[in-house]
Amino acid sequence: MTGLLRYQCALLLRSQRWIAPLLLYAAFLAAGVRPGDPLLDSLGFAAAGLVPVTAWLVRVCVTNEPAAARDCAAAAVGPVRVHAAALLTALGGALLAGAAGTAAVLLIGDSGRAEHVDPGDAALAGVLAALACALTGAAVGALCSRPLLRSTGVAVLAGGLGSLLAWGIAGSPARSAVTALVEGSRAQAVTLPVAAFAGALALACGAGAVACLVSARRG
Amino acid sequence: MLRGVDLELPPGALVRVEGRNGGGKSTLLRIVAGIDTPSEGRITGRPRRAAYVPERFPAALPFTATAYLTHMGRVHGLGRARAADRAAHWLERFGAAAYAQTPLAELSKGSSQKVAAAQALLADPGLLVLDEAWTGLDTAARAELDRAVVERTAAGGTVVFVDHDPARLAGVADAHHRVEGTALVPVREPAGAAAYVRIEAAGAPGAELPPGLTAAPAPGGGLLLTVPAARSDAVLRELLTASAPWHIRSVEELP
Repeated sequence: MTGLLRYQCALLLRSQRWIAPLLLYAAFLAAGVRPGDPLLDSLGFAAAGLVPVTAWLVRVCVTNEPAAARDCAAAAVGPVRVHAAALLTALGGALLAGAAGTAAVLLIGDSGRAEHVDPGDAALAGVLAALACALTGAAVGALCSRPLLRSTGVAVLAGGLGSLLAWGIAGSPARSAVTALVEGSRAQAVTLPVAAFAGALALACGAGAVACLVSARRG
Repeated sequence: MLRGVDLELPPGALVRVEGRNGGGKSTLLRIVAGIDTPSEGRITGRPRRAAYVPERFPAALPFTATAYLTHMGRVHGLGRARAADRAAHWLERFGAAAYAQTPLAELSKGSSQKVAAAQALLADPGLLVLDEAWTGLDTAARAELDRAVVERTAAGGTVVFVDHDPARLAGVADAHHRVEGTALVPVREPAGAAAYVRIEAAGAPGAELPPGLTAAPAPGGGLLLTVPAARSDAVLRELLTASAPWHIRSVEELP
């Protein structure tokens, strides 16, 4: 599995297809976060941006290899691991982006004047929210790309719609995590979105498992 | 679509599958290689290291040939140095050493196919599945792939292949199957097509035969191995290069 992850990471880096989703994330942050903005609120915004970015990165990673090359790797280690490695690589990339985004917000956000919260607690809540959003995005990406959705148009539309739903519908871990931060900002109290993180983890594991098992059945 | 397929692939066997285009040969090979799962039934006892060579390898991958093969070697479980060594070795054998540092996207079809064959042979797979892997290779590389296949079986690996050329590895294949409709039926080789060679060899006391070879005791203490003529060179190489080399007493063609 280490060799496979190394191969997938090299593939993602060298393919340069990570640039577009990361630019989207940077633009999202640049548009929504200003120096001196309330910290918790900005952390919630930064986390929310990770949903579509992660879904996009998952799509990049699972479609990065030509079918023939994927078949060769699948014969060596099995299609389930090949797909799992692609999903984990995408999640890893999204978490790196999320770490950078969260760190930037922590540097420029303001926890004192507007919110009166402890910056350490706010940072922890921000990290949990970023994790919850990245995991939810990974679940959306896994369910909205190969092998479950094969046509590019349908997959991209479904991924976009899935990300919007993850932001909007009640019960979505990403939504509850972001809501926890935004409401915490208004109430001037930090609520750690632990349940949202746990829910997102379960959702991502479930979606990832389904995608991996289907990839064994029909490439 | 195939139904009711029952195929046993013993270690060291070379198995040919044939059938009309679109008849399900590739599907069968993909299932054997573990790329796809059958919708019914199961595959048991697949060796830990399987490898697959597709018919076309249009690898639009952002790597050089060497970098890709080294990555694949590590995917197959080799260490970094060993993977790089084996990559160089197989590119050399297929006459593609000059393209070692060429990006895969710039390779010709034939050279890409050499990379595809090389990735499968890197880690001495216990099961090698070749789906018209010879297509697009030059004559020398085709012969090299034939040799590699025979070596693999002599070392105890199982090889399953499809090729449109009926002469491909003729007389060497241990079993031959044809996809007919939804069934897989055995094909009997024409009598007398395969000549056999008998090798008499003697090893140090307690020496073990290389895996995949079977032998009968010879009068006078050695062992007698009866192998298809086309495979005898590979078997001899295997015996002579074993960690405890065997002494070859005689080699004779059987009538």
